[in-house]
Amino acid sequence: MKNNLKELRLEKELTQVQLAELVNVSRQTIISIETNKYIPSVLLSLKLATILNKKVEQIFQLEITD
Amino acid sequence: MKFLLPNKYKKIGKIITPLGFAVWISMQFGIHNKLLPFIFDNNSNSELHSNYINMTITIISFFSFLIGMYFITFSKERLEDEMVERTRLESFQFAALVQLVFIIIGFLSMLLYKEPHDSGLLLFFILIILLFWISFISHFYFVLHYKYKNEE
Repeated sequence: MKNNLKELRLEKELTQVQLAELVNVSRQTIISIETNKYIPSVLLSLKLATILNKKVEQIFQLEITD
Repeated sequence: MKFLLPNKYKKIGKIITPLGFAVWISMQFGIHNKLLPFIFDNNSNSELHSNYINMTITIISFFSFLIGMYFITFSKERLEDEMVERTRLESFQFAALVQLVFIIIGFLSMLLYKEPHDSGLLLFFILIILLFWISFISHFYFVLHYKYKNEE
């Protein structure tokens, strides 16, 4: 699964720390999502989508291998 | 996880684990033989007394080490989010696998080579517990603080 969290975060002019605080996770979690090391839960995905004013599928997209 | 201890116990664990281990190791290498004569005289009554104190210090230091390891393993991170929970779960699985392999190898070697003595068996069971905690801690901290940090 790929995501464009980093682009959308920068579009909103948020730092990793600010986004992490808004969704109540650590900065490391945001980093690992952005680098595709960690796939977030539905709950966290929805929180991120709400903060970024996007639909979940606009942030996360399935790949052929998924 | 509901059974985890608050984060402050991790700090306590980080202090008492190396301290307990250092004292326990020093007792194993006979440091007490050099230190205790300064405290006790060389008559037989004092010798009994020093042996009693020696054993007490050894037990207290070893249990401090074990309790410290328990505190490190079972206390929360400062910010306990879902990634930490998942990493913890994976680390428990890793530690359980390592422990299982060690148990199988341990029992097989006992069967193949010799009958275990009581003290050997006791050491084996202590090692089983320690191996679980050590493999959990090393895997958990490696993934959380080293693997992800390299991505920054």
